[in-house]
Amino acid sequence: MSRILCVAEKPAIAKAVAQHLSGGSFQTANVTGNRYVKNYQFDFNFGGPWGHCHVTMTSVLGHLTELEFAREYKSWLSCPPGALFEAPVHEAVSSDKTAIARNIQQQARQSKALFIWTDCDREGEHIGTEIRKQAQEGNARILVKRARFSNTERAHVLNAARSLIELDDLQANAVAARIELDLRIGAAFTRLLTLQLKPLSSALEDTIVSYGSCQFPTLGFVVDRYLRVKNFKPETFWGIKVLLLREGIKVNFLWKRVHLFDRAAVTVMLERCLLAKTAKVTKVNQKPTSKWRPLPLTTVDLQMMGSRFLRMDSQTIMKVAEALYTKGFISYPRTETDQFDKAIDLKKLVEKQFPDQNWGQYARDLLDGGFRTPRAGRHNDQAHPPIHPVCWVSPAALSADEKKVYEFVVRRFLACCSEDAKGQSTEIEIEYGDEVFHAKGLLVLERNYLDVYVYDKWESSQQLPKFQLGESFVPTEAKIFDGETTAPNYLTEPELIALMDANGIGTDATMAEHIAKIKDRHYVAVNTRGGGRTAVKELIPTQLGIALVEGYDNVFAGMPNNPSLSKPFLRKEMETRMREICAGSRVRQEVVQESLDMYREYFVHTNRRINALKDAIRKYLPN
Amino acid sequence: MTSPQSQMAAQMAAQLQSTRSLPVSPAWVNSFVSSSTTALQRNVPISALTQTALFRLLASDLRDSLQTNNPATLLPVDIFDPTVQERRLQGPVPVQVLDIEDIGTSLWSQLEAIERVERGEAVRGREIVRAVNVGDDEEEGAAGGGGGGGGGGERSRIGPAANDSHGPHRLIVQDAAGTRAVALELKSVQGISTAKLSIGAKLVIRNATVARGMILLSPDCVTLLGGKIENMDQKWKEGRKARLLARITELQGEGQSG
Repeated sequence: MSRILCVAEKPAIAKAVAQHLSGGSFQTANVTGNRYVKNYQFDFNFGGPWGHCHVTMTSVLGHLTELEFAREYKSWLSCPPGALFEAPVHEAVSSDKTAIARNIQQQARQSKALFIWTDCDREGEHIGTEIRKQAQEGNARILVKRARFSNTERAHVLNAARSLIELDDLQANAVAARIELDLRIGAAFTRLLTLQLKPLSSALEDTIVSYGSCQFPTLGFVVDRYLRVKNFKPETFWGIKVLLLREGIKVNFLWKRVHLFDRAAVTVMLERCLLAKTAKVTKVNQKPTSKWRPLPLTTVDLQMMGSRFLRMDSQTIMKVAEALYTKGFISYPRTETDQFDKAIDLKKLVEKQFPDQNWGQYARDLLDGGFRTPRAGRHNDQAHPPIHPVCWVSPAALSADEKKVYEFVVRRFLACCSEDAKGQSTEIEIEYGDEVFHAKGLLVLERNYLDVYVYDKWESSQQLPKFQLGESFVPTEAKIFDGETTAPNYLTEPELIALMDANGIGTDATMAEHIAKIKDRHYVAVNTRGGGRTAVKELIPTQLGIALVEGYDNVFAGMPNNPSLSKPFLRKEMETRMREICAGSRVRQEVVQESLDMYREYFVHTNRRINALKDAIRKYLPN
Repeated sequence: MTSPQSQMAAQMAAQLQSTRSLPVSPAWVNSFVSSSTTALQRNVPISALTQTALFRLLASDLRDSLQTNNPATLLPVDIFDPTVQERRLQGPVPVQVLDIEDIGTSLWSQLEAIERVERGEAVRGREIVRAVNVGDDEEEGAAGGGGGGGGGGERSRIGPAANDSHGPHRLIVQDAAGTRAVALELKSVQGISTAKLSIGAKLVIRNATVARGMILLSPDCVTLLGGKIENMDQKWKEGRKARLLARITELQGEGQSG
């Protein structure tokens, strides 16, 4: 029997996979030098050319290696920060991972093949290449394959073990490029900023003024909104309201223009209405309407909806979702896909929810005829299905946060498999003088998915009396109302995620980290507005955060194409290039060189105009 | 007396009157003809020459180029009178635009839009893009936004989809005699927007309603001839941001005292 070495990204996945492949009976051995990683030994028949094998299933703990500068460049004062764009770098096993690397080398020595079980995403692909390197150091002739899986449900894992694929080096290269760029650009700018700005203020004494190519645009969004709120000036507007009393119902007609900012104009318009005396019904639209059930759940959506409805920040949500995935309750929570593959047996997944106290009956009703094939969105990352529950879990087995996230994932999934909510909408449009007004009514007829997806609201409005097309009537009242514009609110986390997503800052996997980073660095603070159930968490920049963005904007003011580092443009270009590496249309070295050249130019410029940054720091921070 | 040149001038004036309702002053058209001697020598057809004259006319100040002897082609001098509930302006009256303002959008959002353009950005939904990348989408955005009829108020409007105005617009127009009036775009007229209509652009108004001193514009009573008065337009554009700021400041002052 040949020996096979399997390596997962985390110990929990290794254990879960070992459990399924072995049918529950495996031996556990410790790994010298690391408390978390274990080796699980058992036999398994992989089928095909492999057949029955002795298996050692182990894991790493995320990335094995780190990219670092050569020793002579490591100290902060060893070289001008700009030298870091060219300084030699090398990949080395992280000091706390040497025992894990040694374990892989040793295990590889006796193995015919290495099967990689890292998560199926870009980072996982890169970690796979790190594992492969260590295994080949132990055994140069070892064969390498990869398992493709997106959850740790038994049948899925068994299927993955029997249909192995190749490691995707293109994706791994994209990650390697990103790592090198982040290291060089981040270190160069961070050293420059810290060395130059720290002496200016006592507030900076114990801090690092860091720069990251995602971090900064993320901060830029927060500051931009903050300034819009701060600088906002309210203005008065005026509008026309028309009221009709009919069949004992007060019908309010809304102005098609909503409101205008010129009182004289509105006064003239109202007078024209009054002169006309009667209003004429120009449209009576009564039609069936529906509120669409949600799309299958993606990571970005989970983070946005989660922070809105579950009152948890995006990083916590991702940690909890990660835990639920590792325990095998939900599918892989990092996905851009919002369409279910036809091969997935959705009804079976619905059936698994039967035991639940709260939505079990709903799930039964779905299979009794209510089931609908989910809507398909336009995204497919070709790696993972939308986030969905893999099996039912008793609430007693979950922590409070896990319960909330699991419930959301299940309700969302059941909603996807349900019928849209149905209703009847009525729209009446009238012409009165030269102005157009309308009134709308909604009658909800069937709630359908709304019964399980408690996060959406759609309720019947007041019912409208009968109107005939072409009839005329004299409105009971028509008058001017006024109001005032209000400032936008400070940015909330879901809004920030949406902005980052739309502007290509970070990936679904890293957005939450970038947000956490700008909080950690004290560039932004979280403030709670309102109280109780309506409390909203807002992101507000600190003086330091404002100073950095203003300083940088001044550094780059007047340069063609507005390359300020607080804007999303540069990062977006970099992300596009990463995708090109993944697609095979660009090679890693070329992309790294090009991006470094671009950032080096901005670095030189920043260095030359560092006084603009210093001025901003002096303006906002005590010295 | 009836030299070929003055005959030609008369012919052109008649042409501009009948096709564009522009009563050109004899002095202006004569000087135009006499300045076009090279064209005359080359036997350029009169239709082409009239076209050139129209182009110049649209770039001129109407107070210099049109006659003022027919009251029917002028605004009533008391047109601003707010005590007159309604009157009819038969016309056709050629006027030029002195100012345009979007009264469907708050001054503040207009200012924010100007600053975005200054930074070289545009907003497409939630996405912030470099304005150079926007290209043709801008036109579509404006057309789509215009149909929305005012949008959903300030709070939801993070930023206008394009750098064009929503309307309705309030214009200040001036006739050949220098009389000014306020015109209100009661129904959307194509070509009237802060981005598309230049200062000094010419309109011909006929059979329009004047209510409380405001001319009510709708597509059936306005013919947009276009054009601009270069120096006025440039000054207006340069000063727009400062004017918006000044008005906002003024409003805040009123708010505090009232």
